[in-house]
Amino acid sequence: MSIVLLSILKSLALIILLLTGFAYLTYYERKLLARFHVRRGPNRAGPFGLLQPIADAVKAIFKEEIVPGHVDKLIYIVAPALSLIPALVIFAVIPIAPDLRLGGFTLQFHVADINVGLLYLAAIASVATYGIILGGWSSNNNYALLGSLRTAAQMISYELPFGLLLAAIILTTNIGREAGTLSLIEILNQPRPWWLWLWLWLAFPMFFITMLAESNRSPFDLPETENELIAGFQVEYGGIKFALFFMAEYISMITGSAIMATLFFGGWRGPFADPGTWYGPIVGFGWFFLKVVALLFVYIWVRASVPRIRYDQLLQFCWKVLTPLSIGYLVLTALIVVFVG
Amino acid sequence: MTDPIAAVRSAFPDAVRASAVYRQTPILTLQAADLLAVGRFLRDTPELGYDLLSDLTVVDRLRLPQAQDEARFAGIYQLRSVARGGDLLQLTVPLPGGDAPVAPSVTGLWPTADWHEREAFDLFGVRYEGHPDLRRILMPDDWPTHPLRKDQPLGGERVPYTNTWAEEEFQHLGKQIMQTDQRPEPVPGRMDARHMIVNMGPQHPATHGVLRLIVELDGERIIGIQPDIGYLHSGFEKQGENIRYKDFVYYTDRMDYVSAMQNNLAYCLAVEKLLGIEAPPRAQAIRVIVCELQRIASHLVWLATHTLDVGGTGLALLMYAFREREEILDLFEMVCGARLTTSYLRVGGVSHDLPPAFIPRLRDLLARLPGRFDEYERMLSGSPLWRGRLMGIGKITAAQAIAWGVTGPLLRGAGVPYDLRKAQPYCGYEQYDFSIPVQSEGDSYARYLVRMAEMRQSLRIIQQAVDALPAGHFWIDDPKIAPPARGLLDQSMEALIHHFKLFTEGFRPPPGQAYHGIEASKGEMGVFLVSDGSAHPYRCRVRTPSFVNLQVTELMAKGHLFSDLVTVIGTIDIVLGDVDR
Repeated sequence: MSIVLLSILKSLALIILLLTGFAYLTYYERKLLARFHVRRGPNRAGPFGLLQPIADAVKAIFKEEIVPGHVDKLIYIVAPALSLIPALVIFAVIPIAPDLRLGGFTLQFHVADINVGLLYLAAIASVATYGIILGGWSSNNNYALLGSLRTAAQMISYELPFGLLLAAIILTTNIGREAGTLSLIEILNQPRPWWLWLWLWLAFPMFFITMLAESNRSPFDLPETENELIAGFQVEYGGIKFALFFMAEYISMITGSAIMATLFFGGWRGPFADPGTWYGPIVGFGWFFLKVVALLFVYIWVRASVPRIRYDQLLQFCWKVLTPLSIGYLVLTALIVVFVG
Repeated sequence: MTDPIAAVRSAFPDAVRASAVYRQTPILTLQAADLLAVGRFLRDTPELGYDLLSDLTVVDRLRLPQAQDEARFAGIYQLRSVARGGDLLQLTVPLPGGDAPVAPSVTGLWPTADWHEREAFDLFGVRYEGHPDLRRILMPDDWPTHPLRKDQPLGGERVPYTNTWAEEEFQHLGKQIMQTDQRPEPVPGRMDARHMIVNMGPQHPATHGVLRLIVELDGERIIGIQPDIGYLHSGFEKQGENIRYKDFVYYTDRMDYVSAMQNNLAYCLAVEKLLGIEAPPRAQAIRVIVCELQRIASHLVWLATHTLDVGGTGLALLMYAFREREEILDLFEMVCGARLTTSYLRVGGVSHDLPPAFIPRLRDLLARLPGRFDEYERMLSGSPLWRGRLMGIGKITAAQAIAWGVTGPLLRGAGVPYDLRKAQPYCGYEQYDFSIPVQSEGDSYARYLVRMAEMRQSLRIIQQAVDALPAGHFWIDDPKIAPPARGLLDQSMEALIHHFKLFTEGFRPPPGQAYHGIEASKGEMGVFLVSDGSAHPYRCRVRTPSFVNLQVTELMAKGHLFSDLVTVIGTIDIVLGDVDR
């Protein structure tokens, strides 16, 4: 019973953390983009504009709920939730700090340690596509339809290199051990030799690109492309329903950064993040937070400096460059595991 | 060089009713029945080669005392020969049919006449026989009159609001959200309803204003485009015919509102041509400086919005380009107090002399800009994504470009080294050493390179103009045209009288007609004026580059993806104020 209660509490805490993270990620992005743009960014609401996300949230919540007459009502309303839930749920398997031991009681800083963690990641990431496709489809709008069709093609294509790279990482967990693991917590607890770190970092740029495509971020923000499709799949959405789509995109950015931080940069690991000590979780969470923020910075940096790619070029890049590269990477990793491990 | 008048007279002895050379422009008066034959002769004879139809318009001569006995309407065709350096020839064609004039359509000879003839049909009611799609273009489809006719008053006309609450159609239009079955199907006649018809605009972020494109899509591939313009039509030409010459300068600002100086210049030069005067050397140099600054500013707006369209809203280059434009606008503010609608140029000169602080600040900017341009090019030319989005998109060949009357960077991007600043120098452009950037590919990337290179050439021109800035008057020293200096009004009765006469009556050019085209940042900006000897222009016609260049949208975008349409619109560089006027 207490385990269930604890899980519910942890989930609640995680959701609050993610939603706050989302709110301040919008602030972070706007401030940072403003810096790239030689502007100032939000600076009116509160000191340094810190209350801006709250003002935005209040505005979105109190906007009039408009359901256009020509939409498929049920799907239209369900779609934003369908898109947000996977973005939230995916975080359950990511450890954000080392365990805290107080007396005989151990508090783990992740909601669930399932032994197929990486598979879970891949599965939930695919489900997120439904929200966008259904949102665009139910809107009964040409722009939205084009946007959601693009999403379908884009996300399904990029699942492939994403999955292949994940498989390569799973393979490396076999090195020096009888059996590998799919659990993110286990992966984090396994020591990696230095050459393995280097080898994994080689895959990081590819993985980062697939994460950009998975979370529909610039230069792969084709489902929305405000300049041609106006806002793509979300063109008929307003108020809080629009905000939910917005949330989903930003939370999937956070999630993506968290996954990359965990897989490639050691998650919460860092100096003084010692498990079992009283200060371990605090320092560990600090490291995790820093790594996520640094990766988010890269997301925004890319947005400010790279022009958007065209739809057909995006698919060509995926099928002709990224997929062969990740297959090659997977094969080489397998060879390394067989001969070194 | 062949004399076009003599050549036509010898080939078609019966067709020519009159010929003249007025202010260096040969003018041929032809019979309407012979227009197509003479036009073909003028276009296809190699020594003549009038392949570019710069402008096509109509004059309603109802109240023109000099032409009382002739046909009421006359078609005016401004032809240029690209190969022979933009030589101008004006054809005047009295149109038969009295109050319901009929003219042969020249779209078969010069496809660019398509929209021009639709405009003349819309505003004058001239029926062009053989036109493929003669519909109204600027005014609403149900407009009852042809507003530029002289018997149509300015203002006070009944505006046909057909939508009232009593009407069933307006009942659902008036509601914000329509039921699916009530939505009108926006499928124009020549489009296939089985394809996806996307209505792009008039409210769309990438159409740069109130442009509406009806796009026919097969998947994401463009099959057809039908532009719909006129949402910003303000009747500037009608307005210009009802105010004094000097007062129209302020209206020209509002046409291509990102290059106001050049609009001013085109108009002032046309009036000066009509008057037979020339601005003093200092005014000429100042005009060159501000117009080239304006060209840079206009190209910066193009660059900013083009990267915005192609690259997404997050791209930082948007703000970088606007930062530099801001500094140019600061300079404009120094010379005339205004930033966007400057109205700085006047007939016979400029309104103020350059302030002392202007030159140092300009030199400072000139020193900094090349580095900034390098930065843009590193960011864009160096990016494979940018090249991938632009290369091969919106291709247009040199022959197509000339046939469609396309000028400016679009023509030079297609490999034609045609620039009116070199071809028909005005304002002393012949003194300056600069080159015409040309690219042969004819795609969006070529036009990007041309515009980037043009900004650098403009810097060179400004540098030379500043270094050799002559002293002297900044406005013509003629009290009939330029007001006397403020100090003189306190001392001289004569000056006071001149001032009074100038501002109550204006000046009266001799009867005649003049067309003057300049190389504005988007292409040829031309003004055609007919004077009846009064203080108001009898006919004021503005040929704007955006209107003509926009015609090739379908030609350029057909077969490309929907995303490329945004690139194509951006690369044409339109300003809707310039299109609709």
